[in-house]
Amino acid sequence: MNNKLIAALLFTFLICNRIALAQTVAGSAYSVQNIQMPQGLMAETGGLAFLPDGRLAACFIRGEVMLYTPETKEWKVFASGLHEPLGILAVNKSEFIVMQRPELTRIKDTDGDGVADLYETLTDDFGISGNYHEFNYGPVQDANGNLYIALNTASQGGSVRPEVRGKLNPLGRDMSKGIYEMYSVVPYRGWVMKLPVGSDKLQPFASGMRSPNGMGFDLKGNLFVTDNQSDWVETSTLYHVKEGKFYGHPASLIWQKGWEGKNPFTSPVADLDKIRTKAAVLFPQGVMANSPSQPLCDITQGKFGPFAGQLFVGEMNRDRIVRVMLETVAGELQGSCIPFIDGRGLRKGNNRLAFAPDGSLWVGQIAFGWAGDQGIQRIVFNGNQPADVQMMNLTKTGFDITFTQPVDKTQALNPGNYNFRHYYYKYQRKAKNAGADNTDQQDVKTIAVKKVTVSPDGRKVSLVLGELKPGYVYELKLGDITTAKGQPLDNKLICYTLNNLLP
Amino acid sequence: MVVFSSKYKINLRVRKRKILLSWNIETKILSNTLTMRKTFFLLCFLTCIIPQLNAQQPGAGELVINLSAISGMQFDVVRFNVKPGVKVRINFTNTDDMSHNFLVTKPGTRLDVVNQALKLEEKGPEMNYIPKSADVLWSIPVVSINQSATLTFQAPSQTGAYPYVCTYPGHGFIMYGVMYVTNESTMPDLKTDLNIPPARREEKSVPSAQSASMSADPNAKTHHANHPYENVPPFFYRIFMDDSGPASIAVNLPQGISYCWDTGSCRLRYAWSGGFLDNSAIWKGHIDANAKILGPIFYRENSEFPIVIGNIDEVPEAKFKGYKLIDKYPEFHYQLNGIDVYELIKPKEDGNGIVRNFRIPNAGSTVWFSSKSTNGSEVYTTSAGTLIDGKVKLSPQEARQFTVTMTNYSLLFNTRRKR
Repeated sequence: MNNKLIAALLFTFLICNRIALAQTVAGSAYSVQNIQMPQGLMAETGGLAFLPDGRLAACFIRGEVMLYTPETKEWKVFASGLHEPLGILAVNKSEFIVMQRPELTRIKDTDGDGVADLYETLTDDFGISGNYHEFNYGPVQDANGNLYIALNTASQGGSVRPEVRGKLNPLGRDMSKGIYEMYSVVPYRGWVMKLPVGSDKLQPFASGMRSPNGMGFDLKGNLFVTDNQSDWVETSTLYHVKEGKFYGHPASLIWQKGWEGKNPFTSPVADLDKIRTKAAVLFPQGVMANSPSQPLCDITQGKFGPFAGQLFVGEMNRDRIVRVMLETVAGELQGSCIPFIDGRGLRKGNNRLAFAPDGSLWVGQIAFGWAGDQGIQRIVFNGNQPADVQMMNLTKTGFDITFTQPVDKTQALNPGNYNFRHYYYKYQRKAKNAGADNTDQQDVKTIAVKKVTVSPDGRKVSLVLGELKPGYVYELKLGDITTAKGQPLDNKLICYTLNNLLP
Repeated sequence: MVVFSSKYKINLRVRKRKILLSWNIETKILSNTLTMRKTFFLLCFLTCIIPQLNAQQPGAGELVINLSAISGMQFDVVRFNVKPGVKVRINFTNTDDMSHNFLVTKPGTRLDVVNQALKLEEKGPEMNYIPKSADVLWSIPVVSINQSATLTFQAPSQTGAYPYVCTYPGHGFIMYGVMYVTNESTMPDLKTDLNIPPARREEKSVPSAQSASMSADPNAKTHHANHPYENVPPFFYRIFMDDSGPASIAVNLPQGISYCWDTGSCRLRYAWSGGFLDNSAIWKGHIDANAKILGPIFYRENSEFPIVIGNIDEVPEAKFKGYKLIDKYPEFHYQLNGIDVYELIKPKEDGNGIVRNFRIPNAGSTVWFSSKSTNGSEVYTTSAGTLIDGKVKLSPQEARQFTVTMTNYSLLFNTRRKR
């Protein structure tokens, strides 16, 4: 067993070194550093959180909570024996809240020896069928101290245990047509739940999730949850989650008031489509991300570069962190996604993100039987301004693209440097034999750019498109545009989710 | 020919006209989820065998390889060998719940091709994630679940290790195998074969096969190698356990005693002697699995409500509150109808049973303890209370702190037991 792990790790290192060597660029805005993990740890990272003193708290799938001091590179065990912890929140240097399989737990060191001795159940007020896919995510905390967690549905690849927790409702799984669908047969699987301050009673908050492996707030207190594509919702999503809303996967609806005794799987798709809230951002499958994880708001006020207030989202299936640019259109948040870092030594399996007090972005990796990796890496802003898209805004006639630096005006004025396509994803019950990660883009069409103007400072390009259709993803592939100084753009593919047109 | 059932046909078939030594392994999986589990174990079984098969053939004829994509992003056939120039037919079936393609690449180019596939970005879906590259020799586009596709080609005249891989985004880092084009009839040692995924270099190459067939070895110390510290009893895991609720804690005590405590019903479920746990199946992830206990169970709690406060006929509502570590032993805290109960379990000093230390600071009324044991080899003593009809009756005062000691004579009389 151990030999196998070592072999796996060695193998990973070999791959990573190779990529790192190939992609190190002098003068680059960001670099990726590996964090040395303690010997003997299977570093499948479930959660990352920083203490104000600069120490990192990390939890790992085999049950450890470890503390890392960056200055001394020392790891210490804080807690052990937890059941698949997948999220951690730092309360103070001797107290953490950890989301594990059976419960949300407050873990405290009460005698000051640096090791936890008190494990208090904050809430275990949700069902567990024992299906391997019923992961629990969070917690994240709002400004008032309320906690939010998210509960994964069960997978058709597994069953339920002989003993379950919570009253089993078989209507949460369709065994006729939908045998490959994710299911929810114990309470609140597929829901985002709220734990009000001072309560141990979980409240259902929002439904329609499949695999919501990522939660986060932005600076304005908006709650975001990522979800993995598959049945019903065809490509992975970033949801702006609001109380009482339904986001698309019907299994969770059996726990919705008013749905008692009804089978959500046999409800007409059009009816479900009417009651669902669409994603603020779609991550096109196989193009942008296949398994997005935690959305993390850039709270660094510039310490991490020019993207303050935007969201970074981990991607499990490849060596990528995605960046999300949001705007309010017709009263709702919508926007675009763009790769932030591809390669440069970043591993795949990017599951958890956290900003250190010094403004560096720490990334924890996981595989746990899927495509992924192990370990923790740190992304550092080197102070060199990246050559990138700062923001993409919808206009009445097209889009404005703002760059982080002035761009070469001749190149920027060439309409041939903006290759737009649009397509949409069907909301549908997946065909029986379609693979879980198979996705079809509908009505793929090239969209002509009719007019290009560049702002006097060379930072903003205004594009007039031949057509703007709500309900479509507008995919922009930038051509050979460099900065005014001749630096090529770091990332050239942007996908804007056009839910609403400007009023 | 081996036929397992009418649903699963496994042909170990020799193509008579062509080659005597060619193995042809055919797996037909029907799309019936109710029997998926069986199918899975069958696949696991196959996976144990297949990596060891060397497909051999004389210079002429056709080599048929029946190869499936299986759960955990793997190919069931992780390697095979073929002589240069021989016609190869790959019958590829996707039995996984994800989509997969199949590419054969030039030697040493697998990772490059995988990364080229990632770089297709927006063009990936329409190109089936198959990059246009001279390194890609042959390919099968994305195959949906329970669908099959066939690829035929002539093995290169140049000998070498030709990787095959699924380049669906992310898959190619772990989902690959190798075709050895060689004049030899053997392949490199499986255990050191760097051309196959690390997890496949052992004979029992699929996680579930390992857990399903693993015998309980009391001396196994698998848990020690899996953490950045040495686990010294008492220590514990919250983990999925057999014969208990989904929220359980397994505790390893000194004296070679372990127990499983259910935080759902707030009670001891069972205790065993010998080794502690093998968590390897569950820790591989992506599969329903339980920890395996490494020793015989010597005690099972028969009572659903071992502690009752007040009316003995009333079913108490149990609520788990957590645990505190006292000298590293977990002291469980739970409430029965809102009344705090604390329970800490230690091994008997002589190792032949367990001592359950209870604290009920404010019981308010009579406390009953009942094991409902009908087993003559279990002998109970209590530190307080009176025995009535097999139940221990304690006053609120006595219930503030009491112990129930269970001696098990199967342990006591077993003089060969090592601790």
